[in-house]
Amino acid sequence: MKDFQLHYSDAPEVDFSKAREMKPYLEEPKAMYVGAPGKRGYLNLGFELDPQGKSILRELDRRAPLIVQQELYFDEKLPQMPCVYILSSGGPNVDGDRYTQNITVGRDAMAWVSTGAATKLAGMKYNYSGMIQNIVLKENAYLEFLPEPIIPHANTRFICDTRMCVDPTATVLYSEIYMAGRKHYNGGELFKFDILSVCSHGERPDGEQLFREKFIIRPEGGHIRDCGVMGSYDIFANVIVMTPTDKAEEIYRQTEAFIDPKRKIAAGVTHLPNGAGLLFKVLGMEPGPVKAVVRDFASKVRMAIKGVPLPEEFPWR
Amino acid sequence: MDSRIPALFHLLQYSDATFPVGTFSFSNGLETASYEKLVHDAPTLEEYARSAARQAAFSDGVAALTAYRACKAGDYAAIKDIDSKLILFKMNDEARLMLKRMGKKLAELAARIFDAEILKQWLADIEADATPGSYPVAQGIVFALSELGEEDLYVSHQYGVINMILGAALRCVRVSHYDTQEILFRLASETPELYEEAKDMTFEDMNCFVPEMDILASLHEKGNMRMFMS
Repeated sequence: MKDFQLHYSDAPEVDFSKAREMKPYLEEPKAMYVGAPGKRGYLNLGFELDPQGKSILRELDRRAPLIVQQELYFDEKLPQMPCVYILSSGGPNVDGDRYTQNITVGRDAMAWVSTGAATKLAGMKYNYSGMIQNIVLKENAYLEFLPEPIIPHANTRFICDTRMCVDPTATVLYSEIYMAGRKHYNGGELFKFDILSVCSHGERPDGEQLFREKFIIRPEGGHIRDCGVMGSYDIFANVIVMTPTDKAEEIYRQTEAFIDPKRKIAAGVTHLPNGAGLLFKVLGMEPGPVKAVVRDFASKVRMAIKGVPLPEEFPWR
Repeated sequence: MDSRIPALFHLLQYSDATFPVGTFSFSNGLETASYEKLVHDAPTLEEYARSAARQAAFSDGVAALTAYRACKAGDYAAIKDIDSKLILFKMNDEARLMLKRMGKKLAELAARIFDAEILKQWLADIEADATPGSYPVAQGIVFALSELGEEDLYVSHQYGVINMILGAALRCVRVSHYDTQEILFRLASETPELYEEAKDMTFEDMNCFVPEMDILASLHEKGNMRMFMS
């Protein structure tokens, strides 16, 4: 049966059973098994320059439920940049889902990647939902990865490992926005998930390790609202920028760290180790203002690298 | 006579707030937390100290235990390995500075106290910039050389983190010595659970989640407050 299951999908296997924090969540789901068609999503996006020097989506390979259609050029400030939305035909991530997302941006090319809507992580009973991401940037490449927020429902379990292999001349902006849960559902479902385990690590093409950030959030312990952790905030955004040192300094100087008690929003920027770039964090109450702060920071990054800001956000986003 | 008394004596010595590694220079973001009125009394201070302890428990604490075991096994390469890996995990300049400055002071001190080849090599490597020389790793080496146990090391590490915050609090938060001692006494009861979790963890498992502290560190780094270096 196991062999049959493996052959049924040629998407890479995603297995976090060795991760200590996922040990309590390794039971086979009673509904569709782990790795069933439609539960093992795969995405391989390769951006590169065409012979005319235009950035295009050269490579696109996908398995349900992940969907990317063709690239579009809708960024008014950077119309030469291909933009793609990652969609999921399955709706939320459910028990036993596994995903792999590979994004490669070739030499001198650029790309913008987002999601079509918030990523919902459904409640889980037996297993977990896991994702592995590989982001590779070649010389002088540029990538903005700005997905919509992630909403963990009650009793969800999610683990994600993101590897960023970035040439010293390239720039990647990688953002994640985590909500505490469905804030207005059923009287409020904040911090009711079982576990979020998120690891992002950066390296150079020669294998030199630059940084590793891992956070495990288990609200059940009762410390999530402590001063220093989430305090009274409901949303957390984490933005990693790997970029050359001089660009990092320019962006750092222009980025403000602040705590605004009236608007209940706060942000801070710091240097990643080993000259890898910057780390920007935001805490807030509602997705709109947090996204606005993230986009404002992303705009500074784009200005430093490409000389233009981000366009106005679409009114429907 | 075989006695644990000298080892316990050394445990107290290494954990003492006056142990000259520069603990008093750092507040781990408390200075900014106090200025921003996030920490303003004993209950908020206790929460903040707990957050700092838990943050260190599964990162610095794991590195200290790993270094301790490597030192006991005579595996110098493994000591250097966890030292450089710990820096990968430190996400702000002031945290890296604190770790390296206190680590070097402890290495210098230990090199005078112990006649151990490993410490001479360690200090030489720090000075040659061949290893970051972080404080938790230095603690692991010193405890291994002192015939102290893993639990002793972990307690000293957690005590140091909490006591650094509480010591700084006496200078920048409206709390009394009574408050800080009560907090310290209470937080001791939470350390066993942290040790149980941390003792089997490796570098792969190391984790921390204190976004509010990270933002405070950034404010401190970009601001003008300089009673403390972090």
